Amino acid sequence: MRKHLVTGFAVTAAALAVASLFAQTPDGAAQGKAKGKGGAAKGGVGLYQRQPPAPTGPAPKLADGTPDLSGVWLGSGASDADISRALKPGDSVVMLPWAEALVKTRQSKDDPESNCLPAGIPRGSPYPWRIAQTPGIYFIVFEGNIHSWRQIFMDGRKHPDDPEPAWYGNSIGRFDGPTWVVDTVGFKDKFWFDYVGHPHTEKLHTTERYTRTDMGNMSIEVTIDDPGAYAKPFTTVGRARIMAGTELLEYICQEDNFDLQHISGPAQGPGGSTR
Amino acid sequence: MRAVFGVLAAGLGLLGLGLPVLAHHSGAAVFDSTKKIDLTGVVTKMEWVNPHAHFYIDVKDSTGKVTNWNLELASPSILVRNGWKRNSVREGDMVTVTGSRARDNSNFGIAQTIVFPDGHKLNFLSAFEDGK
Repeated sequence: MRKHLVTGFAVTAAALAVASLFAQTPDGAAQGKAKGKGGAAKGGVGLYQRQPPAPTGPAPKLADGTPDLSGVWLGSGASDADISRALKPGDSVVMLPWAEALVKTRQSKDDPESNCLPAGIPRGSPYPWRIAQTPGIYFIVFEGNIHSWRQIFMDGRKHPDDPEPAWYGNSIGRFDGPTWVVDTVGFKDKFWFDYVGHPHTEKLHTTERYTRTDMGNMSIEVTIDDPGAYAKPFTTVGRARIMAGTELLEYICQEDNFDLQHISGPAQGPGGSTR
Repeated sequence: MRAVFGVLAAGLGLLGLGLPVLAHHSGAAVFDSTKKIDLTGVVTKMEWVNPHAHFYIDVKDSTGKVTNWNLELASPSILVRNGWKRNSVREGDMVTVTGSRARDNSNFGIAQTIVFPDGHKLNFLSAFEDGK
């Protein structure tokens, strides 16, 4: 093995590479905060470089006047590094004492996301996703988030009285003007809200509000109401951008998750931040 | 020039803070940014798999002892969108890799840059040398 101080070239290249990587962190373009014309930061969006600009024009509608939410989207409604980082102005995350204590003991290796289990709601990923609108039921299909999917019933039904606990819960949706509102209950208490390990309970109730503000962009707000773990509800804010020129690709996380055996230390976000 | 230094300084600052999110976990939970690696060797295998592609190289030290290193990349879906091909690194290629070693000191690291003898370069997530 040849191991020595990195050269100037290596440092420069690594710096550029890491700078690019950090551009995708949840507080960056993965939440649609890319800079520049058309939402593209020097042709790159998140981890993805030389991307075509997002399409422009007014938000489209289906033939019946329903907002058309179709397309390949990149972004999410919350910071997946730390859910308390991207909140509606004035909101705060106040954990109950047991939750506060739990977060301080959580280890990165135990994060369900690291174990190729679902990221839940509203945790995003650096991978794109798609909304598919079919009569009576919409689907969100994820490339990341372990290549899974959600179903949102749009036929006017109510939640079951005693929903079977599920990673993605039981979701029903409706439109409030241009905004798609998704109401979800019936969660398992398994997933973490973020890399630092904010927990939830089976009492979790999420309300997601998706508004396609124009052809290429969507605002997303998610209200988290979990009286089992938090002293009061809070609302996260984020954005997504149409990822032009690509389709969803395969990402089977379980294929060879060899990193897991090397993960150590407390639950932590980019740069090693912890609660 | 100021812009170049600005980018470099920003990158160094980020390197100092930690490592990238690797899509489904924090890079800092696996790799130690203070443990730099700079390895030259022959590629023995490419694993084009999820959640991270990775490849192995044999590195010979001054005594002739050969150590096989496992070097990590982004996922194939990220790589192909950024110009990589599944055969961009092939068995038998001579490469020089810089990056950071795993926290557990195993022969596992993140391949932040890959340089070939003809000078062309790849990085952890992109085949675009200008990083744009």
